[in-house]
Amino acid sequence: MGKELIFKTLRHEKTDAVPWVPFAGVHAGKLKNYTAEEVLRDGDKLFEALMEVYKLYVPDGMTTLFDLQVEAEILGCDLLWAENNPPSVKSHPLSGEKAIPCKCKIPNEESGRIPMILDVMRRVKAEIGDDVALYGLICGPFTLASHLRGSEIFMDMISDPAYVTELLEFCGEVACKMSEMYIDAGMDVIAVVDPLVSQISPKHIEKLLTPSFTAVFDFVRSKGAYSSFFVCGNATKQIEAMCKMNPDGVSVDENVDMVTAKKVTDQYNIAIGGNIPLTTTMLYGTQQDNMKCVIDLMDSMDHHNLIISPGCDMPYDTPIENTIAVAQAVKTPDAVREMVANYEGGGFDDIEIEIPDYANLDKVLIELFTLDPEQCAACTYMVNIVADNYDEIKDIADYVVYKYCIKEDIARTMKMGLTNLPTMCINGEPKYISIIPSKEELIAEVKKYAKK
Amino acid sequence: MSKEAVLEAAKQSIMEADEDLAMQALKDAEAEKIDAVELLSNGYSAGMKELGDQFGRGEIFLPELIFATEVMKTVTAEIESKMDVADTQAKGVMVIGTVAGDVHDIGKGIVASLVKTNGVEVHDLGREVPAEVFIEKVKEVNANFVGSSALLTTTMTEQKKIEELLVKEGLRDKVKTMVGGAPVTKRWAEKIGADAYCEDASDTVNFILNWIEQM
Repeated sequence: MGKELIFKTLRHEKTDAVPWVPFAGVHAGKLKNYTAEEVLRDGDKLFEALMEVYKLYVPDGMTTLFDLQVEAEILGCDLLWAENNPPSVKSHPLSGEKAIPCKCKIPNEESGRIPMILDVMRRVKAEIGDDVALYGLICGPFTLASHLRGSEIFMDMISDPAYVTELLEFCGEVACKMSEMYIDAGMDVIAVVDPLVSQISPKHIEKLLTPSFTAVFDFVRSKGAYSSFFVCGNATKQIEAMCKMNPDGVSVDENVDMVTAKKVTDQYNIAIGGNIPLTTTMLYGTQQDNMKCVIDLMDSMDHHNLIISPGCDMPYDTPIENTIAVAQAVKTPDAVREMVANYEGGGFDDIEIEIPDYANLDKVLIELFTLDPEQCAACTYMVNIVADNYDEIKDIADYVVYKYCIKEDIARTMKMGLTNLPTMCINGEPKYISIIPSKEELIAEVKKYAKK
Repeated sequence: MSKEAVLEAAKQSIMEADEDLAMQALKDAEAEKIDAVELLSNGYSAGMKELGDQFGRGEIFLPELIFATEVMKTVTAEIESKMDVADTQAKGVMVIGTVAGDVHDIGKGIVASLVKTNGVEVHDLGREVPAEVFIEKVKEVNANFVGSSALLTTTMTEQKKIEELLVKEGLRDKVKTMVGGAPVTKRWAEKIGADAYCEDASDTVNFILNWIEQM
């Protein structure tokens, strides 16, 4: 079970597989055609999108709501909302005024978007909480302090460290309260997400940040949950200082060399997660690029204390098939290693493939091009939607399944010019790429072809 | 006090972000009748350049760089107030901003400050700046360099628009363009036709100073 795999990894026990955690924040919305703003503000849409993440990406652990601005919004920051990105903070209430917010402002169950978030967390827990480790994401104390104070926080660190200490103490209390609410709503892992940590020196981290961060990790542990410290950007020099704060795991971005970083986390017996490149590989790469990236990553280090995940929050438009490929590579590395080798080695030109004469077939032909329907969840769903409803279309349609682990099928996939799997072709036309149609959509589409 | 010693003190004052030391170096320079432009470029700016390089190598971090930049701004303003306008002629002109739809401007602000402290006239357009506004400003100030920052994968496309508009307006050969921001890569810069991908403020300064040498 995926959940236990994450728990074992965060307990630093031996595992027989590497767990996979997709950071499908706003990208979850893409799976159901919802905008970023919709999934970050509308509980029903967020829930629906998260169920799709679970279904397509077979995660061992998954994030619920990925938005570091939730706390800042409650504490008075104005947000700039975007269609395809999380919102950004555009005003800082403590800019120009060196003050500490009143403790009465610390978020509670009724503040801002918290009621919606807690409701979704409880629903997700009830639905899939037995199978998947659920991550509740909170804004790290330092990034929250910068949301409140703006970039003046960097000057304060040198000119008035006592003020920064006090502000971080407040932000640490906010983080503990957020953790408590999320754990009570069923979250198994609290991810303390603090991208700005990569921008300051290890010395500053130890001097100013350690007390508030350590307090959060200790608090999470005292509540019986696990903790993970997410940092974005190049945190190579900060990893050791992060480990000293004693989280159960850290998660690093693409510009950190995982092999080097893991040597440090191993010294502290802390799990490390990462770090598939977000833009060059996940957003703009091919399915094969993504498979190769994961295989290379997994082959470059030992699997103890290791979690595979994207470098940071996945871009909204990450192609679904790329993430499916990543999941497949983590779950069945041996099969995917062979797929990558086949792809790189070529040698399929000699295999004779006969492409059907689609225009003159007696029945509509549904061809299901899959990675491997036994292992790839999205492929299974695509095959099943046809197989389960075949009785209703059997008089007008035939179907056939191809697997990208069989040489003849690889050659056919290539000859058809398909680069993303799973793909459902109807009479030779790619109709559904990684998207699983509903029963009604499928039948209507087949009938349309039958009339042609 | 020798000229070399004053210049070295000026350089160290920036590297240590020590405003008192910086002001003392300024007084010593006046006493020694050291040329203000030389004091600025071979003293304070040399310190800022060294600090920028240390930042690029990951030896210092954002708070130290920002703090030193503030000291540099103070000392530059002090020197400029004592100089003739003719003496302070900039080495080049840069237009910089965070692109439309994007409010992240910490990194862009650092780049603007560091470039300015290296003797370049900088016009910081702020954040959420549409490509058209970049172009208008380039025309207005007759800029040599255009820097755009994008922190989101969805706003990166505005950098492409800047390139396209520069071509359309016949300005592309007159300026060097630089792109930066978390999701931006060298590959992206090449794809859209930008002259350089700048990873950080120090990288930007180095590109600009190299181009100035070739001008």
